[in-house]
Amino acid sequence: MTSLGTPIQGVTLYSFTRAFHARQYDLDGLIRKVAAEGFGPGLEVIGFSSLRGFPDRIDDNFVGQFRDLVAEVDLVPTSLAVNVDTGIRRDRLMNHDELVEYMRKQIEVAARLGFPIARVQISLTPDAMESLLPVAEKYGVTLALEVHADQHGAHERVLALRDRYEKLDSPLLGFTADWGATVTGFAPSLLEAYRRRGASEDLLRQVVELWDGFYAEGPPNTQKVHGERFGAFIGLAARNRRPDLGIDFAINGTGLFGPAPLDTWLEIMPWVRHVHGKFFGIDENGEEPSVPVRGLVRQLVENGYSGAISSEYEGWHWNNWQDPFEIIRGEQAVQRSAAANAGSAMITDATDARRILSSHLAQPVRG
Amino acid sequence: MIADRIIEQGTLTTQDGRTAVEVRIPWYRALPGSCIAGAALTVDGVAAPEDSLRWTMNNRTFSFEELVDETGEWWFPLDSAVLSGDLPVHDGQAEHEVRVDLKLYIPYIITDHGVLHIEEHDTKTMKVAQR
Repeated sequence: MTSLGTPIQGVTLYSFTRAFHARQYDLDGLIRKVAAEGFGPGLEVIGFSSLRGFPDRIDDNFVGQFRDLVAEVDLVPTSLAVNVDTGIRRDRLMNHDELVEYMRKQIEVAARLGFPIARVQISLTPDAMESLLPVAEKYGVTLALEVHADQHGAHERVLALRDRYEKLDSPLLGFTADWGATVTGFAPSLLEAYRRRGASEDLLRQVVELWDGFYAEGPPNTQKVHGERFGAFIGLAARNRRPDLGIDFAINGTGLFGPAPLDTWLEIMPWVRHVHGKFFGIDENGEEPSVPVRGLVRQLVENGYSGAISSEYEGWHWNNWQDPFEIIRGEQAVQRSAAANAGSAMITDATDARRILSSHLAQPVRG
Repeated sequence: MIADRIIEQGTLTTQDGRTAVEVRIPWYRALPGSCIAGAALTVDGVAAPEDSLRWTMNNRTFSFEELVDETGEWWFPLDSAVLSGDLPVHDGQAEHEVRVDLKLYIPYIITDHGVLHIEEHDTKTMKVAQR
């Protein structure tokens, strides 16, 4: 029998994009704020968001300052989110060798800054992941490929990666599970944002009905089905004479609110090395109305997961009327309550978190 | 997406027929010049000619044609870039309506139709300063 997991509480600075972008906090100030609010101990950073000059111009002076700060405020670096910018050139996609070198530079920065995990993205094929394994081994960094809507744990691309991981049998190759893949409703705060942009109640009802229909049908298992759903949102907006909202409906309705059932995570659970606790808002009852946070935490606990959960608030795209720090506080309270209800606890002590994260990442996938 | 922050309030300047405004990235992460695919600068309904537009970031100035191959200079989320073009703006006392359109490629999202690109715009009203 699997023993109960003890997930580590944490946050990604992505949750505070609006405040950082508005220059309300610099990187130093934001990390201090996260620590002071008790949103750690886990700390996740996106290289291209938070680190000026990433990855080519990160000098040793900056590395030293970053490590000193994290030690001073007693946070635990979990994941450096790196990007697979295959489409950086206008004339063609990157070739294989260019891509490996592009990723190597970012993974090296993760190691220098003290992050044990680099979050990578779905454009990496099984062959690319295999080519990156020596890089992961060289730097001692776990590569956790993010499973994000419109993909999910049982998607054909994800299963192909899982099968390659199984063959390669390295503890350094795994997944980041993003809760946005298993959403149960169109986020009410986004509907409110559309309302503020003049969308009629009738149009909003149709958006919810369309999404609910996709939820009932189940998640897209191929890129073709995903494309059809994307187009359906654009068509809906056009028919309602709000073509300006079409792309927004489509990107959010398919790319943020993935309709997969929770049990799709079981397909890849042994390879889940990191979790993005993606969510969109906290309602007047203190609950997340569209992401089943309680069920997701229970599933992780019952499956023995003792890695980090980075609370990842994504409502900032549209919600400019609520404080993201209060929203994170609310969501982490739900996580702690859910872990307790499942007979375990979230790890909130930094010393415990360091020990447990190290053990979580060192163990073989099939223990 | 933070499109309402593209134009920095109060940064419209003009000199000898060229007009400039400071712009912020409406995205959460840095992008290289090669992903800044196009822009338009319009003041009081008059657009600067496309071939006169220039983009300044990290103390370097580029035409949009030059940006196509520029993967070494990045637009960081905290930094203002400067968009400028041939556009006379005369009345220093009046409020001017400034509009900026931006087209950006999102290099890690590859769709069936190629690399995802987004088009965003912002309009703000402000006075112009003579440089």
